[in-house]
Amino acid sequence: MNRVTIELWLWLGKELGDDFESPSGMRSIREEHVEEGMTIRQLLGNLASHYPPIARTIFDTKAKSLLPHVVVNYNDRVISPHVVHNQVLKDGDKITVLPMYMGG
Amino acid sequence: MNIGGYTGNILRVDLSNHETSIMELDQAAIEKWVGGVGFGAKYLYEEVDAGIEWAAPDNRIIWTSGPLAGSGVYGAGTFNVTSKGPMTNLAGCSQANGYFGAYMKFSGFDGIVFQGKASELVYLWIKDGKAEIRNARHLAGKDVWEMEDALREELGVREKDVSIFGIGPSGENGVLYSAIVGDRGHLAAHNGLGAVMGSKNLKAVVTYRGKRTFEVRDPERLKEKNKALFEHAKGFGFFYEWGTGGGFSALYGTGCLPVKNYTTNIFPQHERMNGQYMRTHFETRSKPCYTCRIAHVKEVTVTEGPYKGFVGEEPEYEQLAAWGPMIGNNDLGAVVMLTREVDRLGMDCNEASWTIGWVMECYEKGVFTRRDLDGLDMSWGNVEAVRIMLNRIANREGIGDLLAKGVMRASQEIGGEAADWAVYTKKGCSPRGHDHRGRWAELLDTCVTNTSTLESTWAGVHPQLVNLPVVSDPFSHEEVSTLNARFNGIRIFDDCLGTCRIAATDPKLQVDCLNAVTGWELDLEDAFTIGRRVINQLRVFNFSHGMKKEDEMPSTRYGSMPVDGPAEGKNIMEKWDRMIENYYTHMGWDAQTGKPLPKTLEKVGLTELIEDL
Repeated sequence: MNRVTIELWLWLGKELGDDFESPSGMRSIREEHVEEGMTIRQLLGNLASHYPPIARTIFDTKAKSLLPHVVVNYNDRVISPHVVHNQVLKDGDKITVLPMYMGG
Repeated sequence: MNIGGYTGNILRVDLSNHETSIMELDQAAIEKWVGGVGFGAKYLYEEVDAGIEWAAPDNRIIWTSGPLAGSGVYGAGTFNVTSKGPMTNLAGCSQANGYFGAYMKFSGFDGIVFQGKASELVYLWIKDGKAEIRNARHLAGKDVWEMEDALREELGVREKDVSIFGIGPSGENGVLYSAIVGDRGHLAAHNGLGAVMGSKNLKAVVTYRGKRTFEVRDPERLKEKNKALFEHAKGFGFFYEWGTGGGFSALYGTGCLPVKNYTTNIFPQHERMNGQYMRTHFETRSKPCYTCRIAHVKEVTVTEGPYKGFVGEEPEYEQLAAWGPMIGNNDLGAVVMLTREVDRLGMDCNEASWTIGWVMECYEKGVFTRRDLDGLDMSWGNVEAVRIMLNRIANREGIGDLLAKGVMRASQEIGGEAADWAVYTKKGCSPRGHDHRGRWAELLDTCVTNTSTLESTWAGVHPQLVNLPVVSDPFSHEEVSTLNARFNGIRIFDDCLGTCRIAATDPKLQVDCLNAVTGWELDLEDAFTIGRRVINQLRVFNFSHGMKKEDEMPSTRYGSMPVDGPAEGKNIMEKWDRMIENYYTHMGWDAQTGKPLPKTLEKVGLTELIEDL
C-alpha cells in the first residue's frame, strides 16, 4: 500500500466532515492508503463515491473525469488534466485539487 | 429611432472652441457597432488619422454606453472609454462600472466624443439633453475623492443624484498610466486614458441621473431573461460570496499570483490576504453599482494590524495582487491603504505595481541606492515607502518623473540587466495582476490584444459558456492559441452592451436581454461577428498607427520561466513563434504579418477597410 495525501482548497473542501483535517479553514486534507498501481483518476473516483460533495464539485463518477472549473496539482505542480487522469500514484505523493480562477 | 435601448444621440464636445453639438446616430451605425467599445472603435477609426499622437488635440477620447445600460438589466451602469492611449500610442479601450453608463443615457446621450484641448482646466456637465463646458480651475490638483466632493457641493446635489468620473493629480501631471476614476472608486484604467484627459485639460465629466427616455421593446421578456442572467451570475464561481478576491488563493495554487516582480512564486501568506479572509475578518458594507444585485463591490474597515480603523474600498483581486505579494507585503490592511492611495491619485494599479515591484527588485540588487530614490528605502514590503513613492510619481517629483513613464520606458532608460527585469508587453500594454507564466491563455491575449488589455479574456477558463471545448492542456502552445482565437469576439461584444462582466456572466442570456431591449433577434454567432468586427477595426487602426508584429510579445521577464512554484519550468517562449502564427491563422490574419486578410474583413463587414490596410 502507498500513502498519498489529498488536499482540497477553499470551497471544494466544504461539507466533508471530520474525515478531513482542516488546518487553516481554507484547506481540507486527508491521507489515503492506496493499492499499488492506482491512478489519480481511480483515487478521485473512489473519493467521489464516498463523499457526495466531491462528486458534486470535483469528479464526475459517471464520466470518470474531472468536472469543469477545477485544477489538479500533482506534488505541488500544475499538470494538465489529461495527464492527471492516468498518473500512477507513488508512496508520498500529494494531490491538490483547487477551484479554477474565474475571471481575468 | 426604431430600436429600443438607445437615445439616438452622441454628444460632441470641442474643447478647443468651447462648443458642444449633437450628432444623431443612424440605424445602420447602431446595428453595425451596437455601442460601448463598438462605438468607440467607429469614432476612433473615422476621426483619428495616422500620425496623430496620443497627446495631440486632434486625438479623440470617446465615452460610450451600450443598449443595456439603464435598461433594467441588473448592474448595467457600465461605460467604455476609447482613445489612442499613451502606453502603446495605439488604441486603448477600458470599461468602468458604477452609474455613469446609465446616467449618461438618462441625460440624453449614448456617448460623448471629446476633441481638441481646452485653454484651461474644465469639466463637462450634462443634464436633460444639454451639455455645458465649465471652468475647473478650482479643482486643479484635487484627488478624485476631493474632486467628487467639491463638485457635488458646487452643484448642490446628493450623492446618487449625479455620476462623476475624472482624473486626479496623476492625470493632470501626465503620468502615462493615469486612470479615469469616479463614482467613489470605479476606474477605466488601461492604457493611460486619464493622461489623455489631462492632455485635453479635461478634469471631469458629471452627468445627472435624469429619467429613462429610451424604449425597452419587450419588458416582459427582459424581466424573464434578466432574472435568469442574475441567477447565472449568482451561481457562477465565487464573485457573489467573496468578490473577485475570492480567487486569490486559487491563483496562488496554480502559480498565477505575481510575487516580488516574478522573482518567485512562493507566497505562503496567501490565506491571510484573500477575499475569504477579508470578508470574514474585516468589516464590510455593500456599495453596489447601478441596480446591481450581485453587489461584489464593498467598502471595508480594517480591523487588525497597523492600519486598524482605516476605511477604504475593498481591494479587488488586482489590487490584492498588486499591493500584496507583488511588493512583498503580507499585511492585508496595508493593501486597503495602498488601494485607496492609488485610486485617489488616479492611477492604473497594474502598471503602478509593475513599476514599484521593479524598483524594489532594483533596490534589492543594488541598481538603485537610497540616494537614487530620493531617500526612500524601497525594500520589499515597505508599504509606507511605496505610499510616498506613489505620490512622487503622481506629482512627477524626483525619481517619480522617470517612473511616471511606466516600467517599460523606465527600465529601458536605466538599461543594463535591470532592463530585463521589467514586466510588460513590447507594445507597452500592462499585464493584469497575474503571473501569466502560469496562465498562458492570458499571456498570449495580453500580447496580441488590440484594445491594450485582455481581449479574449476567460478563453482559458470558460469556453463552455459559448459551446467551445475546455483546453485539455493549459500549457499547450497550440491548444491555447487555437482556443483563444476561437473564443475571441464574445467578450468584446459584451463590452458593447453597457453591462458588467461580473453581473452578467452568461453571453447567451446577454444576447437574449439585448434582443428584448432592442427588438432584434440576434444569436450567439451574430454576437461573435460583432465582437470580431470591433477587433478587426481596432487592429487595422493599430497597424495604420505604427503597430509592428515584432512588438506582439512579452518582455524578457514577462516571458521567462518560473523558477519555483506550481508552474516551475513552464516555458511559453519555447514555441512562441509557432503559437503566434497559429493564433493569427485562426483569427483570419496573415500568419507572417498579423494583418487581417481581406476575406476576414469582408466576413465581418469591414470591406471598406481593405484598401486602408
